[in-house]
Amino acid sequence: MATIEFVDVTKEYPNAKTPAVDNVSFTVHEGAICMLLGTSGSGKTTLLRMVNRLIDPTSGEIRIDGVPTTQQDPIALRRSIGYVIQQVGLFPHLSIEDNVRVVPSILGKSAAETRDRVDELLHLVGLEPAEYRKRYPRQLSGGQQQRVGLARALAADPAVLLMDEPFGALDAITRARLQDELLNVQRGVRKTILFVTHDVEEAFKLGDQIVVMSEGKLVQEGSPIELLAQPASDFVRQLVGADNILRQFEYQPVTAALEPATDAAQERIAADERLLPALLRLIQMRNGALAVVRDGETLGQVSLASVFASVQSIHRNASAASGEHNRSADSAPVIR
Amino acid sequence: MSYILDGYNWDLTDPGSIPNLLIAHISITFVSVLIGLAIAFPLAFLVARFKHLYLPTVTTAGILYTIPSLALFALLIPFTAFSQATVLIPLVIYTQVVLIRNIVAGIRAVDPQLVEVGRAMGMNSWQLQWRVVLPLAMPVIIAGIRVVTVTTIGIATLAPWVGTEDLGTLMYQGFNFARSDMEAAGTILVIALAVAADLLLLGVQAALSRGQRVNALSEA
Repeated sequence: MATIEFVDVTKEYPNAKTPAVDNVSFTVHEGAICMLLGTSGSGKTTLLRMVNRLIDPTSGEIRIDGVPTTQQDPIALRRSIGYVIQQVGLFPHLSIEDNVRVVPSILGKSAAETRDRVDELLHLVGLEPAEYRKRYPRQLSGGQQQRVGLARALAADPAVLLMDEPFGALDAITRARLQDELLNVQRGVRKTILFVTHDVEEAFKLGDQIVVMSEGKLVQEGSPIELLAQPASDFVRQLVGADNILRQFEYQPVTAALEPATDAAQERIAADERLLPALLRLIQMRNGALAVVRDGETLGQVSLASVFASVQSIHRNASAASGEHNRSADSAPVIR
Repeated sequence: MSYILDGYNWDLTDPGSIPNLLIAHISITFVSVLIGLAIAFPLAFLVARFKHLYLPTVTTAGILYTIPSLALFALLIPFTAFSQATVLIPLVIYTQVVLIRNIVAGIRAVDPQLVEVGRAMGMNSWQLQWRVVLPLAMPVIIAGIRVVTVTTIGIATLAPWVGTEDLGTLMYQGFNFARSDMEAAGTILVIALAVAADLLLLGVQAALSRGQRVNALSEA
């Protein structure tokens, strides 16, 4: 596992008026999935490609576990970092097995040595090794190819995984399945993942942390809930759909609508649940309240009234915050 | 056909027999193409990297290609006399324009994104060329080798004019002695050899293109 720090990272191209990446600083903690969210041309891919030094920053530095990447040999650095791209980029002339073992093989490992590892990885991404090992990429569907792409990126057990819109070219159903699969895999492997996307839904679904980029600048950085609760600007508000009440219900924890416990609480709900399931149960119960518990201790309760009140207050806070924090990168305190 | 079918012409102890001439023809072709490749590969990789060298290199090879073979033989005789080199040097020169063009075309047709992926995986420049660029360029390169091999088999029939025996000998002597059966035998054997070589290389091309009908990123 590894922590990635971006420190005043800037990338300028000679003929461009504005920097592709403009003085970006943030930290991705060990084992987190950090989503780089932005429109095309926002600099998110450039930022990603600077991590494994496919591009070198003009100024600033990127540190992995405290060591600046510029102090490392780029070839060795890249071998220690997994990389997945949108068009999959499987080598068409290599079998699935040989594609998965690209990195071990350039490190000098033979096919016999990596055979078990390949099987293990194909299992991990949900492909039966006996069936797929000897096939060629073009014999696989887009979704299957991307699974192989993920297996390949994990082959040398890298601490860091870079993913550049890996599911962008897939149909909605396959994309959703692979997103679930990625979360599943991540529970087992706990990589530090940097994931570029322009899809807000994807950012919210996968991200522990979301970094919103626009025109090369970091606009806001924080957890999905922080972005929803306190968008730093109208741009972020529109991007994340902070005005979208359904999304608020989906991502806000029940503790956002906490009120003091009363006798009305007939059922219990865990404190890390979201508002949406709580709301659905409250509607099913027709009224009443749910006791919010954490580790057996009752923190309070939520009722229909408290849920509505919380959503209204989130909206008020958000409007107020966007006035003060316009385009500032400071992350505001979390509302919980 | 009578000349080919006559058992007398298949006597291995006779250096002028069909099998020996066939072997000589194959070996001249093989050596010429091999030397041609040994020169064209480094040149093509150089030219693919330094693009401004492409035009002068291919133009030079093209101009050399237009020199008639007999004229080239004549030019070489003062230096190499009637040795095999007099045959091999022109044959090698003629391979260059097609080989360099095809190798460069093959290299250029490799999807740059796949090269980028290789780089991102941590391949050094040698590994990139060897594991990504060359295999992906191979079908186009082999296509060039096919053309060159067939052309070389054809031009090699002129070897007897400068003292090297091969299947051309049958045509040369047939012409001199007004033996049309010999001429026909030479022609048929050369065509058969060219077709066989072409099919063999087609097989190689197919085997090397395994899994790679599209020389690009696999479609999603």
